[in-house]
Amino acid sequence: MTDRLDRWADPPLLVLASLADEPKHGYAITQDVADSMGVRLTAGTLYAVISRLEAGGLIEPLEPEGRRRPYRITAAGARALARQSERMSRVAVVAQQRLSMRSGWAGA
Amino acid sequence: MRRAAASRRLRTSAPASARTGPPASASPLARAVLAVYPPAWRARYGEEALGYLDESGVSVREVASLLCRAVPAWIWPPAHLHDRPARMRASLATMLTFWSALAVLGLVFDQLTQQQGIAPAGHPVIWWSYLTFDVAMALSAVVLGAGCLPLWLVMLRRARRDHSARVTAGLLLPAAVPVASVLVLAAVLGTIRHPGGVSPAWFLVITVSGFAAALLAAAGPGMALRAQRPRGPAVRLATIAAAIATATSIAGFAASVLAAAGLYLWAHDFTGYHNGVLLVTYLALVTGAGAPAAVSAARGTSAALAR
Repeated sequence: MTDRLDRWADPPLLVLASLADEPKHGYAITQDVADSMGVRLTAGTLYAVISRLEAGGLIEPLEPEGRRRPYRITAAGARALARQSERMSRVAVVAQQRLSMRSGWAGA
Repeated sequence: MRRAAASRRLRTSAPASARTGPPASASPLARAVLAVYPPAWRARYGEEALGYLDESGVSVREVASLLCRAVPAWIWPPAHLHDRPARMRASLATMLTFWSALAVLGLVFDQLTQQQGIAPAGHPVIWWSYLTFDVAMALSAVVLGAGCLPLWLVMLRRARRDHSARVTAGLLLPAAVPVASVLVLAAVLGTIRHPGGVSPAWFLVITVSGFAAALLAAAGPGMALRAQRPRGPAVRLATIAAAIATATSIAGFAASVLAAAGLYLWAHDFTGYHNGVLLVTYLALVTGAGAPAAVSAARGTSAALAR
């Protein structure tokens, strides 16, 4: 059951969130996701996700810098990320409110 | 936190020379792992994935992850990496190659089992498997021939119009090679045959030559597809027909494996067939030719049916 809850850490969402502030190349994305969100993406997962997001028009590649190729979030990607973040925020607020009520009952 | 800040500095303030210098050498292991990906994927992501592995290091976890993700990359190729006709042409060429190899394997199976009249009494499953195999292989050949004929005619007409002798010769190979092979085989058998039949060494030579001829016959259309790059409904029809032919052929080989397993279990009077090594070798050959054919059939069908 807890594994299912991990779907909140959906790799495409993590990559979009990582690219939300500035373009990054593959290794920088995994470092950022690990540092900021606590999830370690592997190369296979990362490039499968990059390929999917690129095919869906949610990110776009920039000119390569040597072997590194930075990616930038597109307007469609930013909209999709905003929608999903909003949903997650609503769930998080409701969950925290209800958990605090539960703690209150337990303490009473 | 300090590590995050350092990492962020590395991302944002690395000197341009460090980012744009000549590509670093990737480890042979990294290159070997990426070699299992489809060519279009490697062309698009290969270099940056090598760069990634240079930075991250080639750990067991990274290798396992890349290997696992190679399977869906083959079966569901990303749509943005190549256009549909190119995907269909590539799948068609691959299916033709493996279908030809399977056809030779089918002839070998037929020669070693049905033509010898080998079927232990009391086990009708073997005869039913033989029948299923024969029907599936015949159907497969008919579907492949009928489905590819329009494309073959279109390509042949274009090759003649362009005066391309190389492409014309390539397109004629699927007809010329089997005819030449049968003639050569008849001549060889006439020379070497004796009352005891063909010796195992000669049978092996004939089998290997058969595989070589099959690959040659399939290579011609493959070369022509690369040279002409045809598009349109004929390519779509040929791809779907080849996928159906491949699926039918695989069903036939499943029946042949059942028959081979039956012979192994029940044909005690025929010591050559009660042989685990022979059975495992046959299974390996069927899987080795059937698996890539099935993957190509899935990729080609997916491209042909995509909107």
